[in-house]
Order: sequence, then C-alpha cells, then structure tokens
Amino acid sequence: MSQYYTTTDHFVLVPALMLALFGCAVLLFEVLVFPHPRQRKWLLLFVLLGLAFAGAGVWRQQNFLASQGIEELTAFGGTLTVDGFAIFFNWIFLAASLIVTLISYRYLEVEGEHHGEYYGLILLANCGMFFLATGTDLITLFIGLELMALCFYILVGFLREDRRSNEAALKYLLLGAFSSGFLVYGFSVLYGLAGSTKLRAVADALASREPWDPVVFLALATTAVGLLFKISAVPFHMWAPDAYEGAPTTVTAYLSVGSKAASFALLLRVFLMPLGAAREVWEPLLAAVAVATMTVGNLAAVTQTNIKRLLAYSSISHAGYILLGLIAGNETGIKGVLVYILVYTFMNLGAFLVVVALRRKDLLGEDLDDLAGLVYKSPGYAILMLIFLLSLAGIPPTAGFIAKYYIFLALIETRHYVLAVIGTLYVAVAIYYYFRIVRSMFLAPLADTGPLTTSFGLRLALVVTGVLTLGIGIYPEPFLGFAQTSLAR
Amino acid sequence: MTLLNLCLALPVAGFLLILAIPKENHRAIRTAALAVSLLVFGLSLGLAVRFDTSLPAYQFVTNVPWIASPAIRYHVGIDGLSLWLVILSTLLTPVGVLVSWRYIDRRVKEFYALLILMESGLIGVFVALDLFLFYVFWEVSLIPMYFLIGVWGHERRIYAAVKFFLFTMAGSVLMLAAIIYLYTQAATFDYPAILSLVAEGRLRFSPLEETLLFLGFFLAFAIKVPLFPLHTWLPDAHVEAPTAGSVILASVMLKMGTYGLLRFSLPLFPSASREHAPWIAVLAIIGIIYGALVAMVQPNMKKLVAYSSVSHLGFVVLGIFSFTQLGLDGAVYQMLNHGISTGALFVLVGFLYERRHSLEIADYGGVATPAPNLAVVFMITTLASIGLPVLNNFVGEYLVLQGTAQVNFRWTVFAAIGIILSACYMLWLYQRAFFGAAPEPVRAHVHDLSPREWSAILPLVVLMVWMGTATQTFLPPIGAANARILEHTRQNVEFHVKQRPPGAASAEVARAR
Amino acid sequence: MLHPITTVHYLLLSAALLLVGTIGVLTRRNVVIILMSIELILNAVNINLIAFSRYFGDVTGQIFAIFVIAVAVAEAAVGLGILIALFRNKETVWADEIELLKW
Repeated sequence: MSQYYTTTDHFVLVPALMLALFGCAVLLFEVLVFPHPRQRKWLLLFVLLGLAFAGAGVWRQQNFLASQGIEELTAFGGTLTVDGFAIFFNWIFLAASLIVTLISYRYLEVEGEHHGEYYGLILLANCGMFFLATGTDLITLFIGLELMALCFYILVGFLREDRRSNEAALKYLLLGAFSSGFLVYGFSVLYGLAGSTKLRAVADALASREPWDPVVFLALATTAVGLLFKISAVPFHMWAPDAYEGAPTTVTAYLSVGSKAASFALLLRVFLMPLGAAREVWEPLLAAVAVATMTVGNLAAVTQTNIKRLLAYSSISHAGYILLGLIAGNETGIKGVLVYILVYTFMNLGAFLVVVALRRKDLLGEDLDDLAGLVYKSPGYAILMLIFLLSLAGIPPTAGFIAKYYIFLALIETRHYVLAVIGTLYVAVAIYYYFRIVRSMFLAPLADTGPLTTSFGLRLALVVTGVLTLGIGIYPEPFLGFAQTSLAR
Repeated sequence: MTLLNLCLALPVAGFLLILAIPKENHRAIRTAALAVSLLVFGLSLGLAVRFDTSLPAYQFVTNVPWIASPAIRYHVGIDGLSLWLVILSTLLTPVGVLVSWRYIDRRVKEFYALLILMESGLIGVFVALDLFLFYVFWEVSLIPMYFLIGVWGHERRIYAAVKFFLFTMAGSVLMLAAIIYLYTQAATFDYPAILSLVAEGRLRFSPLEETLLFLGFFLAFAIKVPLFPLHTWLPDAHVEAPTAGSVILASVMLKMGTYGLLRFSLPLFPSASREHAPWIAVLAIIGIIYGALVAMVQPNMKKLVAYSSVSHLGFVVLGIFSFTQLGLDGAVYQMLNHGISTGALFVLVGFLYERRHSLEIADYGGVATPAPNLAVVFMITTLASIGLPVLNNFVGEYLVLQGTAQVNFRWTVFAAIGIILSACYMLWLYQRAFFGAAPEPVRAHVHDLSPREWSAILPLVVLMVWMGTATQTFLPPIGAANARILEHTRQNVEFHVKQRPPGAASAEVARAR
Repeated sequence: MLHPITTVHYLLLSAALLLVGTIGVLTRRNVVIILMSIELILNAVNINLIAFSRYFGDVTGQIFAIFVIAVAVAEAAVGLGILIALFRNKETVWADEIELLKW
C-alpha cells in the first residue's frame, strides 16, 4: 500500500466501498445476469448482502474504536473521520436502507415499476449518506450530499408513468439543486476564509474572526439556507409535501428518515464544528426558524386529508423539534438530537410501512378515509400504527416521548423557557392531527374491505419498528447509552 | 415483589391473558376480566390491612433505577391519601366489568382488555413517587379511556372522545414542562427528595417562578377535576361513554386531578397555593352552584349526573384550598364518597338504559312499580348523593363546610346553597323517573335487578352506609397524610398572601404565618 | 489607466452571478431556464473557488471546482431526464402548468 491509500484509509472506507460496489453490481447484474423479471429476488439477495457487508465494516470500526480506546480514526489526511457520531448515524442509515429494501419488493410489483435500478439507487444513496456522516472535509461532504440527492431525485420520480411522481421529482430536483447551489457557495466562502477545506481548519479560521464579520455572515447565511432546505425547515420547506406525496411511498419513507437523518448529520457537523464559533449569530436565527417550522408543520398538518402529505407536514414539525436540541446546544441537547433522530427513524418508517400496506392495484391508499375502520380488518396493523402515532405525538410510554423529553430538558437546562413552552404546546396540536388518523382507524366504520398488501418483509419490518418504538420508550437505557457514547467529540 | 407492585402488574398480566383468549369466547373473556379485577381488589384490601397509620413515611415502597441519566426511578409507595384511592380504583374496576356484562356486545375482547389495562394506569397515578413516572402513568391512563369512549360510546362518541383527549392533553403538556423545570432546579425527579429540598429551604423559587410552576401543575389538575370553567369536556364525555367508562371516569379519573392538587400542588408550591387560594375557591364555589343549577334543567339523566359531578368536585377543591385539617380531610373523604355514590348513580342509570334504551328522563316514569328493588337502591344512592346524615356524602360535605367556615364563612354559605340545590335536582329526577304513571315501554321492558346487577351495586350501597356511619375506619390514615401535607404548606412560605379573603382571620391561617 | 484585477473583483463577479442565478430560479417559469439558472449559481461557486485557489496558491480550490462541474453535469442530466419523463406524460416545460400537486 502506498502513502496515498493506507490500510487505515481502507478500513475507514470499507462500508462505502461495499455500498458502492454492490450498488453498481446490482445495476450491472440486472442487465447481464438476471434479465428475467422472475429472477429479481436474487437481486434483492445481493442488496441484503451489500448492506450486511457494509454493516460488518461499520461494526468492525466500532469494535476497533472501543478496543483501542480511541475517540476517532481519521483517514485520507483528515478527509474522513470515523468517530462515535459517524458510527451512530451509519447504523441509522443502514437500518433505514434495510427496512426500505424489505418493504419495496412487493410494493414495486403492485406499482408495476419493479426494476433493479431501484435497489442500486438505494445502495448508492446510502453510500452518499455514509460520506455525510463520516466526511470532515467540505469537498467530501458536498459530494456525499450530491450523491445522495441525485439518487433521491431519481427515486422520487421512479414511477415513470405517474404524473404525480414526475412532478414531485422535478420540483424536488429544482429546489434541491437550487439549495445545493447555495450550500456549496457557502462552502466556497468558507474555503476562502480558511484556505483549506478541512472542517477543523475552517473552524480554526472562523474562531480567530469576529462572529459578526460580514464575510463569515455571508458564509453562514448561504450554508444555513442550503442546510435548512435539506432538512425541510420553514421557510424552505415547500418541496417536502409535494415530494412526499408524489414519490412512491417506500421512497417517501426512505426520504423522510434516511435523507433527513443524513442532512441532520451534515448540519450538526457544520454547525457544531466550523460554525460553532459564530454561535451567537446563528442561535437566534435558528430559534426563529425552529419556531416557524413547528408552527407551519403542525398547523398545516391539521387540515390535510392525504396521509402522506399529513406525515410530510408532521416530519417538517419534527425537524423543528430536532433543531431545538441544537439550539440548546449543551450535552443533553446534542444527545437529545441524536436520540430524537434515532427514534424518529423507526417511528416514522413504521407509520409509512402501514401506508405502504394500504396500496393496492385498484387503490391508492393515501386518503385518510382509506384507513377507516382498519382495526376491524387488520387489528395488528391498526395497533402498530397507533403505537407509531402515539410515539410521533410524544405520548408515554413510547419512544417519541423520551426523545421529546430530552429536547425539552435541554431547553430548560439552558434557560430557553419560551421555546420549551412553545414546543410543549405544539405537542397538543400534534396530538390533534395524529388522532385524526387514530379516529379514522379505530372509530370510523370499515370502508374498504379489500385485503392489505402484505409480504413477509413488510411484516418483519413492521414488527421490528414497532418493537423498537415501544421498547425504546419502556426501557430506553441501552439506546441512551449508545447516543451518549456517540456525542461528537 | 411487594403487594403494591403486584397490584400494578396483575392488570397488565390480565390484559395479556385477555388478549390470549380467542375473541369469540365472550364468556371466558368476561370471566377472566372479572377474576383478575377481583383478585387485584383482594390484594389491594391486603394493602389496607397491612397499612400502618402510625408510620409517617410511605409504605410498600419500591425504588429501583429505570433510566440512568437523568436519574429516573421506578419509585412507588402509598400513604393514607393514596391508599383509599387505590382501593377505590380496584373496587370500581370489577364493578365496571359487571355492569358491562350485557351492555357491551361488540368487540368484547378489546373492551375488557382496555378496561383492565386502564386499571394499572389508574393505580400507577396514585402510587407513583417519581414525578416522571407519575407523568407517564398520567398519560397512559388516558389512552384506554379515549378508546372506551370513542369505540363503545353513543352517537356523538367521536366528538366527545376527541374533546376529552385534547382538553386533558393540553393541560398535561404544560405540566410536563413544569416537571422538567423542577428537575433542572432540584436535579432529581424523586418526589420525596424534592419535597424535603423545598421543606428544608434548600430549593427556593422566586415568586414568579413558583407561580408559573404552580399554574403549570394546576392547569393539568384543574382540567381533570374539572374545575369551572374548564369543565365543558365532562358532560360530553359522560353522556357518550358506555356505563363502565362513565363509572371509571367519574369515580376514579376525576380524582386524579384532586389527588394531584393535594399531593403535588400544595406541598411543592405552598406560597403560590396560598396566594392563589382565594380565586380558586371562588371558582370552586361557582362550580358548585353552576353545576347544580345546570343539572336541574337537564333532560338527560347522564348529563344531570355529570353536572352534579362538577358540583360535587367543587366541594373537594374548596376543601383543599381551605388549608385546614378539617377541610382537607373532608375533601379526601368527599373524593371517595363521590367515587362511590356517583359511581353508583352511573351504574344505576346504565341499568335503566339497558332496559329502556333511553337516557331521557321524559321517557321514564313509574319505574318503582315494575322494579321496586331498583327503586330502593336508587333512592338510597340519591339520598347519599344529596348528603343525608348517616350516609357517606354527609360526612365529607360537613367536614368541608366546617373547614371552610374556619377560613371564610361566606364561602361556607354559598357552598351550602349547593347542597340544597343538589337535593332539588336529585329528588326531582327521582320523582320524574320512578313515580307517576308508567308509560307502556317502561312497563314492558323495565324489570327488577338481576343477581349480577345486585352484585355490582350492593358493595357500593354497603359502602355508602359504612362510610356514613363508621368514619373511623377510613379517616385516620387520611388525617395523618393530610396533616403532613398541611405541615408542608406552612414551611417556607416566602411571600405573603397578599389578598386575604375578607374575614379570613381564622386561627388556622394565622398559625400558618 | 488600467486597474489590476484582484481577488475582490472575482468575488464581486461571483456574487453577481449568484444573484442573477437566484433571481432566475425564482422568477422564470420555464423549467429549462430554471435549470440554467442553477448552473449559473454553480458557476458563481466555481469562480469563487478558483479565485481563492489562486489567492492562496493552493490547488484544493481547483479540485473542488472540478467536482462542482461534475456534479453540475450530473444534476443537469438527471434534471433533463426527469423533465423528459414529465414531458411524455404532459407536454409542457412551464412550471405553472405543473399543478397536480399543490406547490
């Protein structure tokens, strides 16, 4: 091995290599080895294998850090950094990819758009997410972001014959590319300030400047606009409901957790490390954004009748809550953010899984009324959905409550009382619209008697997400410990 | 495993047991629910037997870690205040099972599963000694009730269920904020620990802080009680709920609010409680009189009983905010009384509904002729409810009135008007429903009490007489617990009660300074 | 009299391009022109990067610029691909007529 590609570099890169390799292999194999539609299950096996290999890579990194007792492992001259933070997020991404892969097979058959590229794109998007969590260099982060985003543009528009899907993809692409432009403009200014693209060098350069320096502010503002677009914070949220509604539901699920978690990983890296010096500038700005995000997300969700759109607005409001943890900014707050993202991944995925099960050849299954009386037809699904919704609303003893609790605790510890009260009040609003779904499922008479679209993968994914959502709520200790060890630095 | 943990865990086990029974087998489900609830009741009686009034501390305590950081513990225990409320919950659950025997004929399995699960949440609220744990139980008990109302209720059930849920949630999220704030100041969620910090003056709040914290808790409790003008969810919830739901809601759930006031608001925020006592007492009195007046004009039996609850709970709040030993004792006694007698009224109204399928008073008349036993039991319950001596409510109301008289005699006068009004609406109801000419449907459908119905109502009737005569069975633990609460409200009262109620120069208040 | 062209001039040019690009995205309704406006923004970034690279005498900025160019190409390719898919289903390139989903 040369000095340009050491064993450490390789060790750090393995998960991404596996994801990229298997992603490309899936693309090739669909054409060359398994051209027949009936052979697609072999492709699925390949995807699972790729995720398993990537998981093994992450696991070995985690063990290595633990056994050596070191905090972080840098590679490629500081371009990539594996630390607890990166490993935490990589597990979340892999779990999300795995669950989405499990549920997609049957769903794509129903949609009549079952192609191998889908799985390749999921693996490549996951590869991009890896770089977002692991990268500590502006170029790496930008490339990771774009790799993920490009995959998502295509995935959102995956239903080629469906105009809603086309439109959603186009809107997502236009706004996404626009926001990436702003983000990378901010990155270029940061580079200009530091003379280096390494996050640590940028942090040092900013620390030696006044927080209110206009050039710093320009970098901060453009970067923030780009990042806030990605996490769909108000006022940059307009793309989210459209993209969520138009995309295939499995992709919506992936978009709402994978893309959001990865964007938050990026946001945390950028705001805590290089921009940490300018905290006094961005804290009030982010506070205003967070309040606006919770307000718009929660109030707009109240009137929605399309479940995917409702969940889209709810996920906007969740972004607001996560931002609150960053605003608090103490150890509890960052831990709260990590716990929230972990919990959000499972509960939100779970809710979308139920929506996926509703889709049939003859039924879109996206309207609130399509859920009516679900408990009479499939009580198991209704009860699991109830657990997910309770968790999303933040009612004990579910995981969502623990997550919200940490955010509020951090806010009160850091004397952000007004934000804490606003946050708690919006919980009450959120309960109203989540319980519209509950009401429809449990209290309305059965409307549609057709069977749900289920598969082994879907049931497995539902059980896993359900058990985690309830389990983290009842006995959160191991997961809190995991988040604690993953605190950046 | 203490007895108390068994009482908490058994309903959960029963819940799982019921889930395991095939859903067509209604008989087995009902029997299992009854057996589990009776078993829990039996165990809870063991609590009363082994409860030692002379001990000042909490008993049957379990205190184990649950979440490490921040330290949240599974800390439960009971004192004289929670003891009877736990037993009230365990008593009313089998009653709820029995009254639903015929009444619930669809989705039987889910109904009983939820009913039994809710018991655990209710007990948990009364025994939790960790604020975080308390909040968790507080919320957990809500969800089953939402479904009981929403699924098995009458026509406007969904509206009522949502209204019930939103009202209670809106209050409790602010309580959560207050609890977390308390944690950041005290560095613990442990209630006895916080209490001793407050008592020893090591944890001090500025007047503004204490007022806001007090209001955070108070709003959650006041909605639950419900205190006028936050009561509007109650009549809707009661009217739409199935009988068992109404019984549990009125008898146990409303007590969560008054229990919270006594357990948390008064000892933790003594200065703020005293400062705000006057207007709260006024609201309570408005509730007493308003509830009674509105009850009088109700054409619907359940709504009448629901408004009478608003009136009765006004007495409890008034007693609590009199800050006298008698007032507090009366308030707790009245909490139990209301649980028994209003629970019994809802049971009886449920019996009538099962026969005649109507809740309108106008649809009844002359019921005493075809169903004399029912009429007698209803009469006893009515008399208990209006506070006739020898029956239970008299004791509670008397104590409350005497306690208030020590503080402000005008309050006593207005509250007493409420008692007179209660006699009017209850006796008038009785006269319209049970006397006079019996219309054809009443004669055809209304039959007398069956053995199952007897078994549901008889324990309550016995308790009415018992609690009305042998008060010493119940009062000593209550008195001891209340004395400790009052003791806490006298310590470290840092800012003075600015607006003393006119004529409040009683010995009790003076001693508090 | 000739003024020397300094880094600041490049930065001003870049800022101007960013502004033009932003206005283009926000006001133009033809999807192809919106895509072109996004290219303008990315070109503003490139000018920034090259100017800084020259200023520091550091090659990283130029590498970054090459990556940005590659990404811009990929974005345009995917964007036009999606636009063609949409065009097959509904013959329009005007953003106003893409109204199936509420904006």
